[in-house]
Amino acid sequence: MHGFHGRLLHIDLSSGHSHWRDIEETRLRRFLGGIGLGASLLYDYAPAGVDPLAPDNPLIFASAPLVGTGLTTTAKFAVVTKSPLTGFIADSLSSSYFALELKRLGIDALIVTGQATDWTYLFIHDGKVEFHSAGQLRGKSPLECESLIRAELNRSSARIAAIGKAGENQVRFATISNEGRHAGRGGVGAVMGAKHLKAMALCGDRPAVVADPAGVASIAATLRARSLGSLTDKYRSIGTVANLSVFNRLGVLPTRNFQQSTFDEAESLSGETLTENNFSRRNGCAACTIRCERLFKALDGGEQRLEYETLFALGPLCGIHEPDVVLRAARLCDHYGLDTISAGGTLAWAMECGEKGLLPEAQKLGLRFGESEGILAAIEAIAERAGIGDLLAEGSRRAASAIGGESMRWAMHVKGLELPGYEPRSLKTMALGLAVSPRGACHNRSGAYEADFSGQVDRFTADAGRGALVRDSEDFAAVLDSLIVCKFLRKCFDDFYGEAAELLSKVTGWDYSSEELKRAGERIHNLKKLFNQREGWRKEDDWLPERLLSETLSTGVGAGVGLTTAELRGMIQSYYRARGWDNRGWVPQAKLNELGLTTVPSSEFRVSG
Amino acid sequence: MNRPTASKTCLDSAIAPNLRLIMKNDPPDADAGAVILAGGKSSRMGRPKALLPFDGEPLIAHLVRKLESIFPEIVVVAAPEQELPTLPVKIARDDVAYQGPVSGIYHGLQTSTKENCFVTSCDAPFLNLTFVSHLLAQICDVDVVVPFWEERFQPLHAVYRTQVAPLLKDQLERGELRPIFLFDKVRTRKVEEDEIRRFDPEGMSMLNMNSPEEYEAALRLWRAKNSIPVCVELFGVPRMLAKTKSVTLELAAGATLAQVLSALAEKLPMLAGRVIGASGLISGYTCNINGLDFVRTPNAKIKSGDKIFILSADAGG
Repeated sequence: MHGFHGRLLHIDLSSGHSHWRDIEETRLRRFLGGIGLGASLLYDYAPAGVDPLAPDNPLIFASAPLVGTGLTTTAKFAVVTKSPLTGFIADSLSSSYFALELKRLGIDALIVTGQATDWTYLFIHDGKVEFHSAGQLRGKSPLECESLIRAELNRSSARIAAIGKAGENQVRFATISNEGRHAGRGGVGAVMGAKHLKAMALCGDRPAVVADPAGVASIAATLRARSLGSLTDKYRSIGTVANLSVFNRLGVLPTRNFQQSTFDEAESLSGETLTENNFSRRNGCAACTIRCERLFKALDGGEQRLEYETLFALGPLCGIHEPDVVLRAARLCDHYGLDTISAGGTLAWAMECGEKGLLPEAQKLGLRFGESEGILAAIEAIAERAGIGDLLAEGSRRAASAIGGESMRWAMHVKGLELPGYEPRSLKTMALGLAVSPRGACHNRSGAYEADFSGQVDRFTADAGRGALVRDSEDFAAVLDSLIVCKFLRKCFDDFYGEAAELLSKVTGWDYSSEELKRAGERIHNLKKLFNQREGWRKEDDWLPERLLSETLSTGVGAGVGLTTAELRGMIQSYYRARGWDNRGWVPQAKLNELGLTTVPSSEFRVSG
Repeated sequence: MNRPTASKTCLDSAIAPNLRLIMKNDPPDADAGAVILAGGKSSRMGRPKALLPFDGEPLIAHLVRKLESIFPEIVVVAAPEQELPTLPVKIARDDVAYQGPVSGIYHGLQTSTKENCFVTSCDAPFLNLTFVSHLLAQICDVDVVVPFWEERFQPLHAVYRTQVAPLLKDQLERGELRPIFLFDKVRTRKVEEDEIRRFDPEGMSMLNMNSPEEYEAALRLWRAKNSIPVCVELFGVPRMLAKTKSVTLELAAGATLAQVLSALAEKLPMLAGRVIGASGLISGYTCNINGLDFVRTPNAKIKSGDKIFILSADAGG
């Protein structure tokens, strides 16, 4: 087999047993790898209705066919599980050397189930799985774990993914981190923590072989050259933090818990200002030529990685304008292993509750818009689940349900996942993308904002054409996330499906067509939806927070613009139609047949051929 | 023919001038044409005035373009052998070069097929079509309508009945080379300053250029009157390269996005090649107008006061 190993490793922490199993060729061909392969395994390995924090919920690390081929931006892996934040699928991506090492284990997926009696870390090498005590790692950050484990194993080449204190405490938006990067969204770290699995150290020695090395090398050279052109200039020159100033000017920068779409003090946090005043160094994932990562200097001399989403969530969303406070808050999130978007979203919700007298403990902690000490103290409290932190560790949806009153109106989440930094009222295609995404409010599993930012549509208005746009964007993302190719490379393809099919054919030796690849994207997306249906999805889960539907924008170029329930409902129906789903949003049997997602007599869907 | 009846009006001059709309291709008088005198010596200017660059074209072309919006026929009177650009006009040649304006008016009126002609020189770039239309409207029962501005008649910004051409020929033969001698011989309507100011408060219509200094001054005035301010705001890489957040550009009215980008590259040369290419924005960059519309089409029209954002085409974060 080329490009794949055709094997998976299943480790059961409860029994301490490990099993190496074959993966069916049809599954690899039809679901590719990454998010697609992970979703297909989740569907089969997760018992229907499983509690996300229960031992039976599988935590799946999925590799992909392009990983390890030397193609720029492809050193990535997916973490797929049932999300403790949403109750639906969590499919997160992370990257760099851990991804390469996972593939070098000689497997396409690693599935962890069960729960260790004591805190454990795994060391997987030379075809063996070792269980090590992680007692000494308790309370340590992921980065601290990496150096401690390497020292203990005396293996400097080991690549390690770990959880921080937030994962240990099952904070519902905890991350799994490796080399300063994170599988961030959906609380995958809490699932790992619930299994008492603190870390995994990998040392592989079985690289995958591609079918046509010369052909792959030629395409790799072309993509490498394109990746250094103007299409990626933003990422190479400034990084994603470049978004902040322009989003503010376009009135799409969520501020103070989405009460505004512009931030008066945006200039102090702009990517341009940070680059001028705080730039420390540029970094990149393994095998990446774009190297978008930016580290900035804090006042104490330390450096911290910042991305736009972190900057927005811990900055304008919480009314914070001091770069140093954002840098310190981001550092705390990384230290404890917290998703910065959900952390910022939950904190902003609490700040508004405090202002409106619904959460006196928030006020007591100093948790107010624009106040630095409060936000830093609250992040620690969340990771520790101390005081009000215990409530906030549940995420904004559960916290709002707990305190009641009107607070649900400004709990800014979809399916429990907090919104990213794109204002839906002035980005109407994005509004639909956020509402219907299987993993909740997500800017990565579809790039629906692209239609809004390109002039392809009027971003301020809604229409029935948006359904097809969101569908296409989701399917495109599903393929990118399953091959896996970084989205920052996406514009470097002239004809993505055609070129990617050719590339995949040269990697695997299987003759892919662009149509087959496109169909794979649709299949993967439908499968994620199927998983959600099985886990209790209802039509009302595809919806947006009430604030977005009842308040118009008050600032910026979009002032006065709103989004009505009728507009949203119309766009959602257009999306269901475009997907070929019924008007309740369910995937009909005909669509399942078309995509080769067959059912078994119990009416439970099975994905394997 | 009698002496002018200066106060006599054919059109109710009490009507506010701004109530009279001049529509493109809607001549105020289908029987009227225009005559442009282009055959002067241009001795003080040092080069032919008709060919002076003005607003991106030869001055004569500029005038023709302006006048053709209300006149179905235009006659350009040139000196023998004088070079002219290709124009949608009738060309009349003076028999003898540089005989002065009477000869030019005569040849223009002789060539015209229209009953009345508005006559102007080719060095008057600030013609006010509303005022020209007003003058035309006065010709109905007179032979000449001529403005009186700054204590002087303005025979090269006047309307003549073509029937007066033989009188001009007689003048030439008598050596009466100043057009005003005609005004005593025919029914002439003198348009006073107060009346002129209602249409053209500064008398710009009658401003002409005789020296390089006056030409430069006219160009400056034209730019000031016809340019539009456009603010370009830079984001991300363009901002970092230019080390500025915004610049204001002065552009010709009706400017396109391509012209904005060209002016921007001239003002901020560090953007050329990296952000702005030969045919517009380089791939990876886009433009937004006023925070509302994303535009990449080079011929998109830009309005006065527009704010043009130059930003990355990729909003991924």
